[in-house]
Amino acid sequence: MKALTANRLSDGEVVFWKAGQWVERFADAELFDDAALAAAEAAEGHAKSQPTVVVEPYLIDLIESEGLWAPLSYRERIRALGPTNHPGHGKQAEGGAVIAALQHAHGAARSTGRVDLIKRK
Amino acid sequence: MYQYDTLDREFLADRAAEFREQVDRRLKGEITEDQFKPLRLMNGLYLQLHAYMLRVAIPYGSLNGVQLRKLAEIGRKYDKGYGHFTTRTNLQFHWIKLKDAPAILDELASVDLHAIQTSGNCIRNVTSDPYAGATAEEIDDPRVWSEAIRQWSMLHPEFSFLPRKFKFAVTASPKDRTAARVHDIGLVVRRARDGTLGFEVIVGGGMGRTPHVGPTIREFLPANRLFSYLEAILRVYNRHGRRDNKYKARIKILVSALGTEEFARQVEAEWEKIGADGDVPDTEIARIRGAFAPKAFDTLVNRSEAFEEAKSADPAFARFARNNLKPHKRPGYTIVEISLKGIGDTPGDATSEQMEAIAELGELYGQDDIRVTHEQNLVLPHVKLDDAPKVFAALQAAGLSTPNINLISDIIACPGLDYCALANARAINVAQDIATRFADQERAELIGELKIKISGCINACGHHHVGHVGILGVDKKGEEFYQLTLGGSGAEDAAVGKILGPALPAGKVTDAMDALVDVYLRERQDGERFLDTYRRTGDAPFKEAVYADAR
Repeated sequence: MKALTANRLSDGEVVFWKAGQWVERFADAELFDDAALAAAEAAEGHAKSQPTVVVEPYLIDLIESEGLWAPLSYRERIRALGPTNHPGHGKQAEGGAVIAALQHAHGAARSTGRVDLIKRK
Repeated sequence: MYQYDTLDREFLADRAAEFREQVDRRLKGEITEDQFKPLRLMNGLYLQLHAYMLRVAIPYGSLNGVQLRKLAEIGRKYDKGYGHFTTRTNLQFHWIKLKDAPAILDELASVDLHAIQTSGNCIRNVTSDPYAGATAEEIDDPRVWSEAIRQWSMLHPEFSFLPRKFKFAVTASPKDRTAARVHDIGLVVRRARDGTLGFEVIVGGGMGRTPHVGPTIREFLPANRLFSYLEAILRVYNRHGRRDNKYKARIKILVSALGTEEFARQVEAEWEKIGADGDVPDTEIARIRGAFAPKAFDTLVNRSEAFEEAKSADPAFARFARNNLKPHKRPGYTIVEISLKGIGDTPGDATSEQMEAIAELGELYGQDDIRVTHEQNLVLPHVKLDDAPKVFAALQAAGLSTPNINLISDIIACPGLDYCALANARAINVAQDIATRFADQERAELIGELKIKISGCINACGHHHVGHVGILGVDKKGEEFYQLTLGGSGAEDAAVGKILGPALPAGKVTDAMDALVDVYLRERQDGERFLDTYRRTGDAPFKEAVYADAR
C-alpha cells in the first residue's frame, strides 16, 4: 500500500494526495494498493506537474497498524503527526484513531523522501 | 553594542524587498524550485519536515532587549510562540510559511537583524565568547574582532561561493567558550611580550563526518595584519578546496591533505602577495571598538549583603548562584547564565513570553545586553550581585531558573528528526530522557561538569564529537539507534571523542548514561571531572559497564 505526499509550496505544510486534490490529514489520503501502482505513479507524475502547488512529491510505503494504515518509515510518521517533543504541534494535536494508529505503528524502513534528498545532493 | 548606520539599514530594507519579489515570482510560477531554492537559502529559509524554517543570524550571539522582543513577537505572530537557539548562536523558527517570510525579514530589518549568510557556502555567523566584556580572563574584547570579521565577510564578493560553508570563532580567554578549535578558523587573542596584540590562528577544525581538531598555523599574528592573513587563508581554500566532492569540500580536508606546514606555507606565500593593502586600517578597528566601550559600571564592593542574605534565606537561590552565576571582572557584578535546559524541555527552546521576560531583565538589570551561548543557553553578562535575587525571582516566574549550567542535564541537542529534513534520528527526546533521569539536583551536582552533546545525524550540529559524552543518532534500516562517543571536548582542551562500541537501540541510551556515570563516580579521583577520569582510565571500564549485558 502506498500514499503520495509532498510539502505545500506556500506554507510548507505536509500534504497528501486525494483524487487530484491535496489534503492535510493522512487520514484523508488516497491509498493505492499494489494493484493500483500504475495509478499511484500517474498521481506522482501529475503532482510533479504542479510546481506552484507543492514541492518534491513522492510516494511512501504504508503498513498496517491497529487495523488501519500508517507510513512505514519513522520519518514519514513524524511528518504525518508532528514533532514528538510538542504533542500539541502539528497534525497529531487533533487526535483520533488514525493519529493513534500512526503513533503506535512499529514499521521501520528508510524514507523515500530522505533517500531522494540524499540522491539530489 | 555595534549600531547599524543608515547605509546598513537601507541595504537590509532593499534585501528584504528583493526577497519579497523573489517569493512572489516563485508563488506565481515564474521561477522554478531549483531556481528559487538558492535564493531562499541565501535568506536563511529552509524547507524542513513540517514547514519552512527561518534561521536568523545573531551576530556573535549578541542581542539587545528590543531585538529579543522582536524575535518573541515574530515567534508569536508567525510561528507557534517560540524560537529555538542553536549551537551557532542563531535562532531558528520552525513553523514558518513561505508567504510570510518577506514580512518577517522586514520585521527583522526593523531591529537590525536578518537571515543573510545563515546558509550557503559562505562565511557564516561568527561565534564569540558569551562572557565578552564581562570576564576578567580576557585579553581583549573578542566582539571587536568578531564585528570587524562580520563586516569584512558580509557579501564579500570573493568569498560568497566558497567550496563549502565557513565558520569562525573568536575568543580572547584562556577558557574557551566558543569551541574555537573545531571551527574552520579559530582565532585566539594573544598578547606578545612587548604588549602587541595578536592572534593564534587555528585553521581546519571541524566536526561533521570527518572531525578534526584544528592545528595552529600561526602562533602569533599581529592584530593589525589580521584581514590580509584571513584573505590569504580563504584564497588558498577557495583555490584548492575540493569542489568536486561535497563531503571533502570543507577546509579541514584541505589542511589535512596538504599537511599543516604546507598549508601554512601556501598561506604565507599568498599573504606576502596581498600585503598590507588587505588590512583594515587601525582607525576603522578603533571606530568598531568604540561601539563596545564598557558602559558605566557602578563602583561597588565585592560583597553584596542582599546577595548573601538571599543565599542564606533561599536554598533554591543558593543553588542557582552556585551553578549559574559566574565571576565578573568588576567588584559587585556577576555574569548570569540562563539555562534553556529545563528538565524535560527541548534544549535551546524559549517561548515568546520567556524571551520577553529575559529582554526585560536585560533592560532592567543587565545594561540591555543579552548573549547566546553555543551551548544553547542565554547570558546576562552584567548584573549587579545586589540585583541577582530579583533576576532569579523573575527567571523563576518565567520557568527559566534551572540551576544546571555545565551539569549533566545541560545537554546540547540539535532539532533532529522531529524537525530536520537531514536527520536520521531524533535528538531532543534523548536529551529529555537523560535530563529527566538525572533530575535530582544533588546527584547532578555530585557528578559535576559533564557535557552531553547529541546530534541526529553525522553533520554534527549537536556537536556530539566534542561532548564529554557524545550521542549520535543513526538510522539502522529505518530504526533509531545511537552511537556513544566518549572523551571529546570543545573547550581549550579540545579533542574528538572516541566511539565506545556498537550503536545502542533508543531505549537503552539513558541506561547506558547511568552506567557511564556510575563508572565515573566509582573511578574518579580528587577533583576529577568525568572527562578527566575518562582520560586517565581510558574507555575500558566504561565499555565494560555499557556492554556488560551484551557479552
